[in-house]
Amino acid sequence: MAVDTWEGLSGHDRHAACLVAAQGGNRRALDTLVTDLTPLVWHVTRSQGLDRVSAEDVVQTVWLALLRHLNRLEHPRALAGWLITTTRREAQRARTTGYDRESPVPNEGLSDIPTQNDGPEQEALRDDRDRRLWAAYAQLTERCQHLLKLTVLAGRAQYDAVAEALHMPRGSIGPTRGRCLNQLRDLLNREGGPQ
Amino acid sequence: MNAGQDNNPTANGQDDNPTEEDLLLLAELDVLFDKVDPMPADLVERVQFAIALEDLDVEVARWQRDQELAGVRGAGPNTVTFTVEDLTIMVSFAPAGGGYRFDGWLVPGGPHTVEVRVAGHTSTTTAADEGGRFAVDQVPKGTTQLVIHLAAGHGGRGRTVVTPTLVL
Repeated sequence: MAVDTWEGLSGHDRHAACLVAAQGGNRRALDTLVTDLTPLVWHVTRSQGLDRVSAEDVVQTVWLALLRHLNRLEHPRALAGWLITTTRREAQRARTTGYDRESPVPNEGLSDIPTQNDGPEQEALRDDRDRRLWAAYAQLTERCQHLLKLTVLAGRAQYDAVAEALHMPRGSIGPTRGRCLNQLRDLLNREGGPQ
Repeated sequence: MNAGQDNNPTANGQDDNPTEEDLLLLAELDVLFDKVDPMPADLVERVQFAIALEDLDVEVARWQRDQELAGVRGAGPNTVTFTVEDLTIMVSFAPAGGGYRFDGWLVPGGPHTVEVRVAGHTSTTTAADEGGRFAVDQVPKGTTQLVIHLAAGHGGRGRTVVTPTLVL
């Protein structure tokens, strides 16, 4: 039995191998990409201010849209960037069509943006360290929050995608992230961290 | 220690030399994002079902959620609407037997083929009438997706439109 070419690989190499195999018609490779990268698509969608139900639709729409686009991705490196860009566009579209009409709960999605809320999600954070880290993260600038979230979720090898999504030069992603992390540590250490 | 961490950014991508401390903090954040806002447990599975299509050259119809938000959900038949550029798909579903009965309407109408996929079951295929109406009895409960094979017009190749899944 043939061994999957991405077996044993991780991060960018794994996604590149999967993409090439998927372009060749390997459905398991496509499923592996879905397993690995759906968390990225999910969190990018939620960062755009969609409620969980609408976010599920957007996640599916993005992956379905990829099917047609699969063979147009010439560089495996472009996949994460395509996913981030498409997810943002789809999320914005969903938000517009969902809220422009006479929806009785127009702000439902806006009220549970994880980056701006200290509401119910706090309950999910029982661990004190988690609570302090989340409180410190929430005090970072929005730019730092997005940059840290995207680099963590997209993988460190995929800075091109993150740079494009944040309209930053690729070379400044690493140094900027370093500064964001330092700010995060300062916030965490300040008098034992935020309460 | 990471010997390269003082390197200046260079053109060949060696601009990232996070310290071990940085990597630990990033790993912590990674776990934290999922704790704070976990993905629905079945989302990956639903996506994998949705994209397990014979033909990958498909257009995606988007769910018009506002209808559901307007409170259609209830005891009576439920209606969902999907749209893609020049096609609108409306489907009402009502409990019937152990599953559902689908009544649908494609606009603009035509003798299109409608496939109802349900995870773990065989697909059901039916033809819409000239007005775009179609009906499917006994759709099993579960993760469900519509695949519309549009009738080829003017001798061109027929297009295929798919919806995201809904869980019934």
